[in-house]
Amino acid sequence: MRAQEAAYRVSLLVCGNPDDAEDVMQDALMRTYQHVRQIEAPEAFRTWLYTTVRNACLMKRRRRVGEPARHVSIEQDGGDGHERAGPVEIEDPARAADEQLLNAWLGSRLRAALGELPDTYRAVVVLREIEGLSTKEVAAITRLSEANVKTRLHRARAMLRERLEDL
Amino acid sequence: MSPRPTGTCEAVQGQIQAYVDGELDAVECAPIEEHCRSCRPCAVLVQGLRQTIDLCRDAGHAPLPEAIRERARHRMRELLDAGRR
Repeated sequence: MRAQEAAYRVSLLVCGNPDDAEDVMQDALMRTYQHVRQIEAPEAFRTWLYTTVRNACLMKRRRRVGEPARHVSIEQDGGDGHERAGPVEIEDPARAADEQLLNAWLGSRLRAALGELPDTYRAVVVLREIEGLSTKEVAAITRLSEANVKTRLHRARAMLRERLEDL
Repeated sequence: MSPRPTGTCEAVQGQIQAYVDGELDAVECAPIEEHCRSCRPCAVLVQGLRQTIDLCRDAGHAPLPEAIRERARHRMRELLDAGRR
């Protein structure tokens, strides 16, 4: 199940939360199983899997754009579609527990710093530094040139460094 | 008093990524290392980049929290069971 683990880890790091990551992993693994016979070289499997995860993350993000940024209670909404003043965040205990686990796993500072990176920078850092792929593999997955991968990696490292300077 | 740095900071910083990624040979590394011995800002930059990279790589080796892995495995089992029906 190493493929599943890798797919999930990247989904989690790129999407940022377990709910989205589980959807992405499911979507990516289903596509991979459906097309696995078309992958001729075993070494191409890794690139295929990460590409599928990356595309599923992008799709998820596009779908997320139309959703509200936070939950609003029925009482707040008032029934006429207009939200009342004084927004209240609804705390989800399961999500709070996940957040704690993920912060302990990755380190809350690194996780927050990764979350602040632009999408393509985050994908490049996750694939190159955390997953340990080569520049050529990252270029194939992200559809960027190798020079572009290096440039983004350079900027992403500098941004991370700035945010983690005092660690 | 510190010795005067050899080479320019711009030249060193232009190669810093390749240097920390281990893409340079010994001949190419030597002037960078010599420069960093006498230029504190460049030495700090190299050290900071290495720490950032190490932090990311360590995260890649850390196993996911078991509770989160178990939930993902459960979801996959559901998916596979649904496919068999």
